[in-house]
Amino acid sequence: MNLVKFSKNIVSLKWFIILLVLVSTLYLGNQTRYLTIDADILQSLPDHDLDAKLLKQIGKEFGGNNMGVIILETDNIYQTKVLEHIQVITDTLTNIDGIASVSSLTNIINIKGGEYGIEIGKLVDEYELPESPEELQSLRNNVLSNEMYRGSIVSDDDTSSLIIFTLEEKVDVKKVADLVIHKTEALRFPEKLYYIGSPMLVTYISNLMRKDLTNLLPIAFLVIAIILFLSFRSVVGVILPLLTAVISIIWTLGIMSILGFKMSMISNNIPIILLAIGSAYSIHVINRINQIGQINTSEATSTALSQILIPVSLAAITTIIGFVSFIFGAYLEMIVEFGIFTALGTLFASLLALFFVPAIFEVFKIKTRKKDLENKKAFLSEKFLIPLNKLLFKHPKTIVGLWLVLISISVVGIFFINRSVDIQEYFKKDNPTRLAENIMVEKFGGTKPIFVLFKGNMQSPEVLKKMIQASEYMEKNPDINTSMSFAKLISELNFALTNNRRIPDDIEKIEQLWFLLEGNEGMSRFVNEDLTEGIIISKFKSPDNESKKEFAKYMNDFIEKNSTKDCEIQITGMPFVDITMDQSLINSQIGSILIAILFVIIFVGMILRSWLSGIYASIPIITAIIILFGVMGLTGISLNIATVLVASVALGIGIDYSIHIISHFNDSIKENKDLQKAIQDSILISGKAIIINVISVSAGFLVLVFSDMVPLQYFGLLISISMFSSCLGALTLLPAILILVNRKKTA
Amino acid sequence: MNFKFIILFSTILFWNSATMNSQNAEDLLQKMDDLIAAPTDREATVIMVMTDKSGKEKIREASLKQKGRFKKLYRYTKPEKQAGIATLTLPDNVIWLYMPAFNKPMRISLLSKNQAFSGTDFSQEDMSGLPYSDRYTPKIIDSNSENYKLELTPKNKKNKYSKIILTLDKTHLFPKKMEYFDKNNKYFKLATYAYDKQGKYWYAKNVLMKSILKNHSTEITFKSIKFDQDLSDDLFLVENLKLKKD
Repeated sequence: MNLVKFSKNIVSLKWFIILLVLVSTLYLGNQTRYLTIDADILQSLPDHDLDAKLLKQIGKEFGGNNMGVIILETDNIYQTKVLEHIQVITDTLTNIDGIASVSSLTNIINIKGGEYGIEIGKLVDEYELPESPEELQSLRNNVLSNEMYRGSIVSDDDTSSLIIFTLEEKVDVKKVADLVIHKTEALRFPEKLYYIGSPMLVTYISNLMRKDLTNLLPIAFLVIAIILFLSFRSVVGVILPLLTAVISIIWTLGIMSILGFKMSMISNNIPIILLAIGSAYSIHVINRINQIGQINTSEATSTALSQILIPVSLAAITTIIGFVSFIFGAYLEMIVEFGIFTALGTLFASLLALFFVPAIFEVFKIKTRKKDLENKKAFLSEKFLIPLNKLLFKHPKTIVGLWLVLISISVVGIFFINRSVDIQEYFKKDNPTRLAENIMVEKFGGTKPIFVLFKGNMQSPEVLKKMIQASEYMEKNPDINTSMSFAKLISELNFALTNNRRIPDDIEKIEQLWFLLEGNEGMSRFVNEDLTEGIIISKFKSPDNESKKEFAKYMNDFIEKNSTKDCEIQITGMPFVDITMDQSLINSQIGSILIAILFVIIFVGMILRSWLSGIYASIPIITAIIILFGVMGLTGISLNIATVLVASVALGIGIDYSIHIISHFNDSIKENKDLQKAIQDSILISGKAIIINVISVSAGFLVLVFSDMVPLQYFGLLISISMFSSCLGALTLLPAILILVNRKKTA
Repeated sequence: MNFKFIILFSTILFWNSATMNSQNAEDLLQKMDDLIAAPTDREATVIMVMTDKSGKEKIREASLKQKGRFKKLYRYTKPEKQAGIATLTLPDNVIWLYMPAFNKPMRISLLSKNQAFSGTDFSQEDMSGLPYSDRYTPKIIDSNSENYKLELTPKNKKNKYSKIILTLDKTHLFPKKMEYFDKNNKYFKLATYAYDKQGKYWYAKNVLMKSILKNHSTEITFKSIKFDQDLSDDLFLVENLKLKKD
């Protein structure tokens, strides 16, 4: 038989295989040193989405993506001591290499009309801070009366003030952000400081990712080791599965590094996922070698390999299909990357199980332990599998009925599933970033940036008037607090000079007002160098998706009516990207599940040479997915960029259980033509391996519950739930259906 | 006894040399100020070239009329869009701005002298014309056959600079180079001067101010310079700002 010959060849190449694995691991292990973390979700937005592309382009051109914010919170901002502290923080930030500009209450430029002309100066004289109650009150009045400061630099309730800084181009964002936190916290001011804005968020996430990796990976390692030890009661049974999993992790990360990919907030979990599923293939191989070894010690490895080759390959391929299905319909590039590299890691783990594990067994002449396995088998069989088998034959209809009830409840739950694309949900409720976000939403009009891009002559009165019109129109929306633009600056200047806040009708006036603004550091945030493009900057308050959609429609109406050849208007911002991302969650979910189910049915049908078997095999896993969504709907766990992965991953791993049962059933019924024996064999023999597998895989994923990122906690939990339900489906629903169908046939 | 004497002697010596140093330094800085302000008045065409980090240039041109140290009138001729804009600087930090489109002079109160001067790398203070000896305490830190090197420390705490290292031509006492350090003692700006002599006066024909961190620079060139033209005080009257003809 070809399989036997092939297996013998593998065993005979043992030294070559071990050497190859060793050299590859050393080389790729070295490459992992160069793998970096990139937690910037903006970079993962696809260029084929015009909103995302425009957002990235505006961020680059006008520097909006490099802006960080410190929120200083106290009982009353207008106190000399507080102002002093704001000033010290401002100076501290200015002194950090990599920070291009800092603007705060103590250094912001103020232009106002005076009795004889205009005063250009600072809102607060940093060398003579206001001290008397009158001076402080006057500062408060100045802030409150100026639209540019009110609710932008100091909150309306006087309790919070913002210190806004921008990073220079091409700096190490994380290094600068860490310095910002470190240096400002070292000041030990009594006021509370919160950090927010893209550089701070990216740094927070990458710190959490690092923490997750260093904390969770060892825990997952330990948990799986304990389960393996309890299952095999041998050191080899622990070391080999973990070793293959670790090697597959090293190879995957090494290849990621060579190809220039970075760890994203999703691919950060590849090591834990590979640890959980990568060890499973070796478990099957070791299990089978152990079994054969008890009968035939001389050719145990190659015989076992010839038997296990197909099931392990099939299990690996179905899992790979689950991961690869993310390529279709995923919106974020990081999800596609995650799918590809986890699939690659799964391939490595299965190849190592089939080539490396037997080679090690042969080289080190590892012996099996008969007694413990027998005991274990007896315990599982007697206490669970034999009673289960009896129950199946006694009440197959009741079992199917119970499943139908469960499915019906879950279907109801599906209608309650929430979707969320809000990045803040990544953090636990007490996380400082989330608290900062709350302050920004409550007191400063939110954090989600909105940009309205105007292309035209930025000194033309018509263009500037349209910008003002767009601002006024936009500010009527309840989710927009305020907006800022070059046009508003011109109108403020005009007000200071002429007491009239209108955009001058005369282009020359605008050109000459520009003389006063030109070269000001802040200008590059609003207009480009050639004065051919300008933006209105605003923030959107609500995290609610329907509000975002309404706003998009509202603004698009304006653009449709007002965009002309001489004044081209476009709008983008995180709310717009969120809408597409939200829609893509559904598309990607439906797309990846359908593709995965279809491929699995085709593939299993082909290998087992029966399309019906393919369909039967898919029943428990489809049921498990329905239950998964039902649980999500009924418990309020939202569908987000992490939980959207669960169904396909669960499908890829969970289908294995049905494959084991159905292939065992097919073999047995072909051989003995006895339904009862076929079911009993499938449950008693394959059932045991399935249970061990479910426990070890779920335990690995359950470690994610301790993650610092909320969606990953749910990801771990939901995968474990899906594993249990697909295992339960494979051990109860599938056999019950097989009993009912085959009884009819025989009757 | 001997020991005490040595200490006393060396203290006196040190004190003396320190005093002499500061006296010499102040003297040098005063002479530099005098050289800069030597002409009674001057007229010139000023060309400002601002270069950003990508090498892109912006050019401005203005006619300058200056009487004494503090009366300065710039009337911009280029770029065309800003032609006619004029700034009149008068003693006691009084600045008037005239924008023809608004057709009225407006007094600008510059509460912040540290602010950049309309898109250039010079701060308002750099352009103020105030004598350095009034604003800084000098100290000689080095000297060679060609130059003196002076460290200037601001007298006023409001100054944006923590110090300026001035390289002074030993023979003629005009500045060759000024290195500016910010409040955190970080070197951040460099001014390089090219002096020339016309008649009896030395003048900066060209000044290049480079912002080191921003990689941005402004070059000011004085062309067709004329000294002692007996410019009338009327030229520096606010009401005459409106006039197109000077």
